[in-house]
Formats: sequence, C-alpha cells, structure tokens
Amino acid sequence: MNRIAEFFKRRFGLQRYKDEYNTEELRIAFKERYHHFKLLLNANNSALEIMTGIEQALQAKKPFGMSFVKTNCIAVTVSLLRLLKNLEQLSEGKYNQLYPRFDDICNKIKFLIEQKAEAKDERFIIPLNAIDRTMVDLVGGKMANLGEIFNRVQLQVPAGFAITAHAYRHYIECNDLQTEIDRRFIATDVTDMAALTVLSNEIRQLILEADIPQGLAAEIQKAASLLEQETGRTISVALRSSAQGEDSAANSFAGQYHSELNVGLENLLKTYKEIVASKYSLTAITYRLNKGIRDEDIAMSVGCIVMVNARSGGVMYTRNPLDTADSSIFINSAWGLPKAVVEGSVDCDLFVVSRNQPMQVSHKEIKEKKNQFLCFGADGNCQLDQTGIDKDLPSIHDEQALELAKLAITIEQYYGAPQDIEWAIDPDGKIYILQCRPLQQMATLKIDYPEELRLKSKENVLASGGIVICHGLASGEIFTVNSPADMARFPQGGILLARQALPIWASLLNRAVAVITEHGTFAGHLANVAREFKVPAIFGMKDITAILKNGDLVTVDTTNLSVYKGQISMPEKDIQPVKSPMEGSPVYQLLLEVSQYIIPLSLLDPYAPDFKPENCKTFHDITRFAHEKSVQEMFDFGKSHNFSERSSKQLYYKVPMQWWILNLDDGVKEEVKSKYIRLENISSIPMIALWEGIIAVPWDGPPPIDSKGLVSVMFQSTANRGLEPGMRSAYTERNYFMISKNFCSFTSRLGYHFSIVETLVSERTAENYVSFRFKGGAADNQRRIRRVQFIGDILTDYSFRVEVKEDNLIARMEGYEMDYMKERLKILGYLIMHTRQLDMIMSNNAAINYYRSKIDNDIKTHLLGTNGEK
Amino acid sequence: MKVLFVDDEIDFLEIILKRMKKRGIDAMGAATEEQAMETISKNSIDVVILDVKMPGGRSGIEILTEIKYRWPLIEVIMLTGHAMLEAARDGMEKGAFDYIVKPADIDDLFYKINDACKKKSLQELKIKHIDKIMKEEIKT
Repeated sequence: MNRIAEFFKRRFGLQRYKDEYNTEELRIAFKERYHHFKLLLNANNSALEIMTGIEQALQAKKPFGMSFVKTNCIAVTVSLLRLLKNLEQLSEGKYNQLYPRFDDICNKIKFLIEQKAEAKDERFIIPLNAIDRTMVDLVGGKMANLGEIFNRVQLQVPAGFAITAHAYRHYIECNDLQTEIDRRFIATDVTDMAALTVLSNEIRQLILEADIPQGLAAEIQKAASLLEQETGRTISVALRSSAQGEDSAANSFAGQYHSELNVGLENLLKTYKEIVASKYSLTAITYRLNKGIRDEDIAMSVGCIVMVNARSGGVMYTRNPLDTADSSIFINSAWGLPKAVVEGSVDCDLFVVSRNQPMQVSHKEIKEKKNQFLCFGADGNCQLDQTGIDKDLPSIHDEQALELAKLAITIEQYYGAPQDIEWAIDPDGKIYILQCRPLQQMATLKIDYPEELRLKSKENVLASGGIVICHGLASGEIFTVNSPADMARFPQGGILLARQALPIWASLLNRAVAVITEHGTFAGHLANVAREFKVPAIFGMKDITAILKNGDLVTVDTTNLSVYKGQISMPEKDIQPVKSPMEGSPVYQLLLEVSQYIIPLSLLDPYAPDFKPENCKTFHDITRFAHEKSVQEMFDFGKSHNFSERSSKQLYYKVPMQWWILNLDDGVKEEVKSKYIRLENISSIPMIALWEGIIAVPWDGPPPIDSKGLVSVMFQSTANRGLEPGMRSAYTERNYFMISKNFCSFTSRLGYHFSIVETLVSERTAENYVSFRFKGGAADNQRRIRRVQFIGDILTDYSFRVEVKEDNLIARMEGYEMDYMKERLKILGYLIMHTRQLDMIMSNNAAINYYRSKIDNDIKTHLLGTNGEK
Repeated sequence: MKVLFVDDEIDFLEIILKRMKKRGIDAMGAATEEQAMETISKNSIDVVILDVKMPGGRSGIEILTEIKYRWPLIEVIMLTGHAMLEAARDGMEKGAFDYIVKPADIDDLFYKINDACKKKSLQELKIKHIDKIMKEEIKT
C-alpha cells in the first residue's frame, strides 16, 4: 500500500502536478478522503459515546463490574486508534506526533486495569496455629480472624488449617480458567438476573470439572491426615470459604460463599472444589457487583477446621446492631449447629446480656424451635432434624449466656470495635469460637411522622409484629419469592416477601426497597447484608405471606413494625439520602482513576497557541484535536484541489444557470454527456437542500445604498481589484458544487462576499456535519464585521455554533438528524442569497431591524413550514 | 460483498451467518485456521471477521498478520469475547480494520463490514486507475 501512496504523492502531491488532476483522479482522491473522514467521524463518535457512558456510570453509581471497565477501556482505545489511522491517511501523516501521546495515555490505562496483587508467599497450606490477622491476603478474612482469636486472644477454636490464596490461584491457572471466566462475564448482561444465574451455573461447573493440580491435592490430603493424627481420633471437618475481603469491616460477604459442614476426609478434595466454585455463586457475583468489588481481587482461600458436634450454637453481637447507644450483648441461640441461626431458616432464642456489673441477662425470648441441624455420622453432612421435646426449652441456660457474653467482651476489647461472633457449645459444655468479624451498627431511626401521615398510617395497618432488621420506611409492590426461579422476575423497586430469611435472597437487595419475612433473626446472613445495603427489613412477621399477595402496594414501617396499605411517603426533606455502595468501591475507584486519562478536556480553543498534539493529556484531547484537524483536511478539499471547468457541468434549472457542478461520486442519478446537468438529475441530498433554500424566496435586489455606502463600494473596488465582477482572480471563481450523494462542497461568490458550505448529510446521524464560512463584502471593515455578526446572530438562533473573527464567520453544526440538517442547509442557502450587499446598510439601525424581521419571517414562512419551530 | 467469519464457536458461527445472510451479505464460515486460509484462497473474500483466540495453533493476531501479508487488500475485523487491551492494540497496529468485543451489536457490525468493504473497493479502484495510467505512460 505504501508504494501506491508514494505514487500518488509523487504524482499529485507537488503543486506543479496539481493542475493535472483529471476528473477520475479527483474523484478517487475525493472518495478516499471522504471515506477516511467518515471513518474518522465514526471513530470519534464512538469514543465520545463511550466517554459519556463512563461518565454516566460514575454519576449514577449503579452497579458495574470489571468487565464494564475493561470493555469500555478497550473500546475507547480501539476507537482512538481508528481515529488516528484515518487522520494519518487524511493528512498524509501531518499529525503523527499524536501517536506518542496516545501510547503514553494507553500505557497508563493498561497499568491501572491490569494491576493485580502479587502473592509473595507460595505456601499452599498454613496450619491455624501459624495464622494471625496480618495474613488476610494469604488465608482470607475468616481464617485470619480465627487464627488471631486462637493464637493471640487465646480462646478455644477448633484445630485446623487454611488452604491458601496461592493454592486457589494455582488451581485456576493450571486449568487456564480465568480467561474463560472473563470471557463469559463480558458476554453477560449483568442487569439480567436470569442471565446471571446461567453465568453462575456455567462458571461453577467449569471449576468443578477442572482437576486440582496433583501437588496441591497431595498437600491438602497430607495436612488433613496430620490434623487427624493430632486430634487422635477419626475426624470430619468443616470446610469454610475464607475469601479475601470476606469478614472485613466494609464487606461482610455474609453467607455469600459456601461452607460445608461435617465433611469426611475422603470427600475433602471434592468439597474443596465446591467451596472454590462458590466464589461464583449467584449471590457472591451480585454482592461483588453491587459493592463494586473486583473479581480479580478475590482469591478463594478455604478454611479446614475440625467439626464441632455442637449441642447448641449461634451468633452473638457484642452490641445492638440497630442502636449505637445500646451496649448490651445480643446472643442468638438454637439447638444443634449454629447453621440454623445464620441461615435464618428457623426461629431461635434471644438472650440480651447487660454489661453493667454484675452482668445479667436483661431480656430473653425463648422461641419454639421445631428443627435443629445435627451431624450425622462421619460423612453424613448435617441435616435438619426434629428437636422433639426440647423444642420449647432454652437452647442455652443463663450461665452459658453470661459466659458467652464475657467472651464477647474479651474479643471486642481485643479488636477495639463491636464484633459479630459465631460460636458453638459441644456436648461437654466447652465453648468454641467459629468465626468473628466486625459488626456494623446503625443508629436508631427516629422518624418524626407528620400528623397527617400518622393518621393515614393508623387507618391502613395491614399487619404488625416481628423484629426490626434494618431501619427505614419504604413503599412498593409486594413480590413473593419462594424459590430461586422467582428471583429472575423480581421487579426493580419491589418489596421482597418470603417465608424464610434465606441468604440467597441477598442477590435481590439491590432491587428490593424493603424486605419482610415470616422467620429469621437479626443475626442471620440476610439480616447482615440488608443492613449493609441499608434496605429496611422486618423479619418474623407471623403469617404475613397469607395476608399479602403479589402486586399489593404497601408501605413498610420498621419503627412501628407495621405494614400499611398503599403508599405513604415521608416529606422529601425527611428522607435520608442513601449512599450507593458503589461509591468508593475498588471497581468504582478504578473507573474513576482510568477516566482521568480518558474524559477531561483541556484543549478547548483550536485557535490557541497550545492547541498542539504534544499538549494532549487525555483521549478526549486527542479526539478534539483530531476532529478539528480532520474537518480542516476534509473541508479544505475544495480549496486544495483546483477546479477543472472541463470536468464540470453547468446546472440547468429552467434555463442554464451560472452554477457549475462536479460529481465526485454518486451525486447524480445518471451520468450525462451534454455540458448541462438538470436539477432533476441531482441526487445529492445536501445540495438539493441548499438549492431549495437558494430559490425559496426571490431576491428583492440590492438594498438601497446611501451615499456613504456607495463611496465605500467604490473605494473597496479600487483597493481590491479582485472584487470587481469582471476581474478574474481567486475571488472570482464561479459558484460551484462538488457533490456526492451525501456530501456537498459549495463555493460561491455572490455580490462581493465569498462563502463556502461543506456538508455531509446521511442517515448516519452521528456523522452529519455542516460548516459555513462567510467572508468579505464591499462596505468598510466595520460594516462588514457588523454583517457577519448579523448573520451569526441569525445562525445562532437556528442552533449553529458561530465564531466571528473580524469579517470572517465560521458556523458549524453536527450530529443532528437528516431532516433537521436539510432544514438548516435550506436556511444557509437562503442566507447566502439574501445577505448579499447587506453590509451596505449596516450603519442604519432601522434598515437592520427591517432586514432581520424580513429574514426571520421568510425563514419561518418559507423554510420551516407553518409552525416555524427553531 | 463476500465476508468470512472465522470462529471456533460453531453455535455462534451458525447464528451470525444466518443473520448476515438475512441482511444480504454473502457470508461464509470457518471454524479453524486451515479452513479459513483455504476459503480465502478459493473465494474472493472482501472482509474477514476473525476471533482473537483460536483453539490450538496460532493466535488470531498471528492469523491476522498472515492474512494481511498474503492478501493485503482484505480487511480484517477482530471479534472477540476476550477483553484484552494489549491484544486490541496489537491487532489494530497490525492492520486490523477494527476490534470488537462480544457481544457485538449486530447493526454496528453490519455497518463496520460495509465500511471495511468500501475501503477495500476504494483501494482496488485506486490500483486499477494507477494501472491504467501506467499503461498509458508506457504507450507514450
């Protein structure tokens, strides 16, 4: 291709060869230039659209994932490269200094989006007695905290080990899974719950089908055997997710990953895979998405700890999560394993212990606990079983509650912040700490109901009762969720109604405005996540699923533990704005940082001395510069290519006109041999529009000139011989159109002024463009300037961007639909005809007003149709 | 206008060929590099839509390089499910007409194929014209 370019350059690049352009060569040159220009505009528009999309994502703070960041960065980079390539072709490499700027910006973006945590520790297995909280990156939040409790706080924790983040990466890398996972993410619409469900299933299947590398498998089995030897009996273990970021202050990930209890050692490897695969459970994917957590930042470490055959278990909060002023310890307890409490599937007992000395149980609620989770055999997993005669008995006695409360205070004092602690008591009465993470507290919501609302709400109570999970007041339509299949249909802004407070419903918390359940405790996973997302929730509302049905419009009021009929809104001023969990999240932050190299525009003024390639700091600067230069290159076509009269045809409209036409491509319906071309034969959309404006209203002739104006014409004619109609010079080129179907370059010299219209009009709205330059006149400088200002004012009124420098006017418009562009071209055609010699009257205000009103009236009446809309 | 889609995902290939044919594009498919090269050799292909990641053998970028070397006038659009910034840059620098990340908007792809075809036909027109001039110059 270079040889061809060279040939053309040699042949046509030099001035002395320019006259030798024959029609065919001119057409080829035009077509090529036109094509590159269109491609450049297309690339420019794509780049700007992507920038808008990024800005909107940052402003709306709606959830987006890493695939959004990556695909947008790629798309904008590719658009920029397309832009630069076409500018290079259009300008013969005149602006190639843009490439180093592009490379520099691109490298900065690449560095940001591809950075990932490098693991320095390459151990696959670390025993619990060697773990502390500084090892979060290696063993995940859950195991790091457990290690700290065991080794530093020195409380009872089951023995175990962690399968590290390095082990996870090794597993994924050996099976080359990450590329495929990323690909599937990119192909999925993350706002579509059904598509996300399919994605989750597919990725988990990929992981489950992959083989654990031999070395890793051997180390896991060896560590388990060692654990069994140390314990001195046949053991089963609990395998628990311990991902990076899990159990942190900002993100609890409560219940979003999988844990498997009572696993026999023969099933260890199979279960390890299941826990790893749960990184891509539907709830985990949506949780990360809604909180802006990068997938690549999460390595799934797994904790393997000896199973405690719990007689009772539960979760305790070292403070009241719903009232920062309440320092009581809240213990939720059930028979059997604590799973019953955290899953929210059954009701459980509540013990509230006051810290004041002597510590005592200040409040307790003993519920009917029909079921309990128990371990069955060495590999019986754990199953829900009847509690029998124990169902109404307290699952712990008060002394145990006090003992637990003391442990809670010890842990809270160690960490210096409120904690959420999972515990179990074995048949010998020994208490084990199983998990510990920071507790998020919220202040009590004190809603000062206006009187009108208070009355209205009292009349409309549909149901009352239950416990507050997260404070708030929200209205919406009820949507009942019974199974995962219902989740795909959950509407934005709906109220989630369910019998059980299952962790899986957490996926819907970015769509639900409130949650109501019949069962569940405030210590369950769903409760934790509802508080994290600040979604008002009431759990334990008896028989509520029988009272409400889908589509009922209701209001949930947690302060009064009530559900009201209809929508009851608080006055706008009393509504607390909810901060989006995306804001400040790692994914959000990354997009924000990347956008600093993409969006800001510093090159504003194309006439400023710093409007140079080397001053482009962002992709936006490059597009601005390239667009400006491409327009110059493209629309200087008429200027830079000498017009050969032999290759043009004279326009025939009723009679032969003093207008010449050169068809550059597909501007005529049929090629004709005669020297005339009829208007009916023209297929150029912009030329026809211009022409309609030119002939729309007959010209009244020159304005009456006063003696001052006449003197001025005479003076200008003397000073500039080129202005005399009879003179042949660059100014006195004929009026001619260079056309294709969608392009028109129109150069005219009517009277004493000179104007050029260069325009592109097609169905591809984003590429549409018109530029209009107007210069000259016969009056003195001041009046010529006033005329261009006069024209500029009119064009501004019709949406043109206008720049006036001296007696030089440039007006532009781009990106409007075809019909709108055609209408504006008509206005230009009209103005070119009707502003002839108006410079003469520019010192006469009455005349100016007359012409302005006449022009406005003509445009409204003859060009814009009856309504005269601008 | 003849367009060849090269992708190892047979399902995708079937769907896209059907949709392109509906829009009047003479579209062909190849699931392997060998099939692609053979189809290009035997048909006058205008545009190739090429997956960046092909199973086994060479990468899409290497295949792009070979196509541009053997048939410089053919325009190649990279279409991929993998969002890799470096591959995108590399592909564009090695002469790809465009680089699109799946899922591609079908209208957008259609426009891009048209633009790529137009570019190719312009190049052909230019070469034909040079050829004509050279013959005339030799005559004189």
